[in-house]
This record gives sequence, C-alpha cells and structure tokens, in this order.
Amino acid sequence: MPARLRLDAIGTRWSIDTQEPLGDEVVAAIRDRIDAYDRAWSRFRPDAAIAPLARAAGEVRMPQESAELATLYRQLHDVTDGAVTPLVGASLERLGYRADGVADTGLAPEAPPAWDDVLRWEGTTIRTTAPLVLDVGAAGKGQLVDLVGDVLDAHGIHDRVVDASGDLRHAGAGDQGRPTRVALEDPRALGHAIGVVEVEGEAFCASAGNRRRWAGRHHILDGRTGAPTDEVIGTWVVAERAMVADAIATALSFAPVGLLARHWSFEHARMYAGGQVEATGRFAAGLHVRKVAA
Amino acid sequence: MTPRRRAALALATTSLAAFGLSACATADEPADTTDETTAPETSTSDGTTTDSGSSAYADGTYSADGSYTSPGGEETITVTVTLADGVIEDVEVENPETTNPNSLRYQGEFIDGIAAEVVGVPLDDVSVDRVGGSSLTSGGFEDALETIRDEAAA
Repeated sequence: MPARLRLDAIGTRWSIDTQEPLGDEVVAAIRDRIDAYDRAWSRFRPDAAIAPLARAAGEVRMPQESAELATLYRQLHDVTDGAVTPLVGASLERLGYRADGVADTGLAPEAPPAWDDVLRWEGTTIRTTAPLVLDVGAAGKGQLVDLVGDVLDAHGIHDRVVDASGDLRHAGAGDQGRPTRVALEDPRALGHAIGVVEVEGEAFCASAGNRRRWAGRHHILDGRTGAPTDEVIGTWVVAERAMVADAIATALSFAPVGLLARHWSFEHARMYAGGQVEATGRFAAGLHVRKVAA
Repeated sequence: MTPRRRAALALATTSLAAFGLSACATADEPADTTDETTAPETSTSDGTTTDSGSSAYADGTYSADGSYTSPGGEETITVTVTLADGVIEDVEVENPETTNPNSLRYQGEFIDGIAAEVVGVPLDDVSVDRVGGSSLTSGGFEDALETIRDEAAA
C-alpha cells in the first residue's frame, strides 16, 4: 500500500512516497541527511558551514556533496556568462530576501562580484578573498532530492518518489508501480496548470518567480545584474538527476536552450512574460490549454 | 442538509484535489483514506471510496483552513467548497488573518485564479499525482481541500 512521509525542511514541504510505509530507522536517516545539508549550505543559518564566509574572507571545508555542486555551478556559470552564480546571495539580501523573512529594502539591484575575483571553489574546499554570501539555491534543493534518494537506496527502498514541493525524482517503479504524473503549474494563475508530464526513473524540477515574491520582487536573480529576471516567468525541466534538472530550470530563465543543451541532456517547457510557451519532447505533447471561466 | 464544518488541520500535502488537471484523490492515496481516523462519519474504512464515483461525497458546503509558510511567516487561508452531486459548484478562498503585507498581492492573485478553473470539475477526476512549480499558497489550498474531501466522503 502506497505510503507518504511528510516533512517540513529547508523551508519547503517534502513528500516521500513509497510502496510501503518507511521504518523509523529510514525516516531518521532521511531527517539526518536533510539536516546535515541544511547545516552545511543554508545561508539562513548563522551556524552553517558556509556562514563564516559571509563575515570574512577565508576558507571552509564542506561535505562531500560539495564537489559535484562546484563542478555544476562552475559550468553553469560559464555557459550562462555569469547569469547563474552562487554569488547571487548578497544581491538577494540587498533586495530584501533574508533569513528573518522578506522586506522591502528600497535598494537598487547590485550585481554580485565576479567569480574569479573572489572565489575558489574546488572539491570540498571553498576559499574566498572577500566576505561572500554564497547561495546554492539554483541546484541545492535538487541535489538534496538526489541525496535523499541515495539514503533510500541504502535502505533497500528502490521504488519511490521524493518530492520537495514540485522538485522531485521518481525511481524504480515509483510509489504506485507506474510513472508519476506532474501538473505544470501556471505561474500566471496559481492553481491552474498549463499541462501534464509523466516522469519515470528521472527527475522533474520547476522554477518560477511566484514562489518567493515580495515588494514586487522575486528570488530568481540574474547574476550579471543582480536584478530579478523578467523575461521568463516559469520553467519546467525533466533530467536524469534532480540536481541537474533544478539547475537547468534556473538557467532557462537566462540562457538560450541551445547553449544548455550542448552540455546537459534534458527536456523542458518555458513560459515568457507574455504567456508564450516553448516546449520540447514530452512537454510539447503534454501541454494543454487551461480552462476558461464560464 | 448543508453541513458547515470547520476544521483546523494538520498539514498534509496532497496533489490539488479539485482541479480537473489535478487530484490524487482517493485512488492515489489509499493510505490516507483508509487510515482516516479523524472523521468518524467517513464510513469508508474499507477503501471503497477508491472505486466509487462522485456520489462518494455528500453534498453541502464545507470549510477548512490550510496554511503554508511564506518567507514572511506562516499564512493561513480558508477554503470553502460547495458540492452538488459530488461536483464542486463553487469555491471560495480567503485569507482572514494575514498579517504579512508582503503576501497580500500574492494571495490576491491566487484567489482570483481559483474559481474559474474549479467550477464544475468532479472531485474524483483524478489525473495527476503532484504539481510542479507549485506555489507556497497552493500547499495551503491543497491542505484545506484534503480535509474537505475527507469530511465530504459519505
């Protein structure tokens, strides 16, 4: 009988769907994994492993997952000409997205510093030459979805869906012995969907400015300017790993599809501010026109 | 004839329950429906709701609260659903206690968007398991709908 474990963690709701209820030991291991990630990477926690870098230039050692995150971020940064960067954290705080909530700071956007000027991030070591607020939000949640999947694998739970509020990964036969069907929420009208895709043995992630919005601003910033993106209002991506799907969903706010497709394998849909949608693969097949009020 | 109940509830993410495009209603969450213990009038503990049609729900008007966490703090919305012949006739969403001014516009958009899509869509019209790009507000909406579905199960 399918079962669902619900957790609130890293500021989002998690649903871990399996074919049988999870035992206490697995649940504890999942909680530990999420908590460890948060303690390492959260820019909202003063005790996080990266927190000292916000106060002063220096060096920190990060957990093992740092290595692939560093590689992915560097590649994304280069491919998008700096639009995607972990240095966007200070720009976010400047616009009012902070640990204690959001505020209207009234400040103009400011571009983050150039990567090579201030940051060396290799493997599990991060070294900086200035105080930096690092933000791994473009790929971190997806990576954690993958890592929670690893925990489940280690406990012999191979058929499941790990869903962190819409950033998710289906594995094995899923929780229901079939692919999971995901609605693509319309960023213009919450509660509506622009289509449906089926996901099986892979990950799905979405990115939309409507999730974190305050004072007319949202949290997806262009690393070249430090300002919120306005051309693209929603992206949806299927890729093998959630970390990559998450990162591509962010990068699609800034970068041409062709550029990204040279480096990563994915399918996507993307909605522009005018409501136009472009889509590839199964996204094109799954789009539908939303219902109109009677 | 129109039970008007109110339930503050434990949070529970479900897929959107009422949209035609949505809803892992009973068939998708047998664990939830068969393990139901908080609504004793829901006499379907053998799981028969899974394969019954829209008549599985008692007509009436139902209200439930859902909450979600926004960057500005905890927010609450109240969802009121009117059912007739097992079909949603009307949906209202309001946020009675919002104290976070940053949320107002956000919730306004949400409220504007819901009714148009939901009217006339069968509660059991299952077509997706989950929502991608899902907003914080939708989480609260889903919570409230799940409670209503449990309450309305006849």
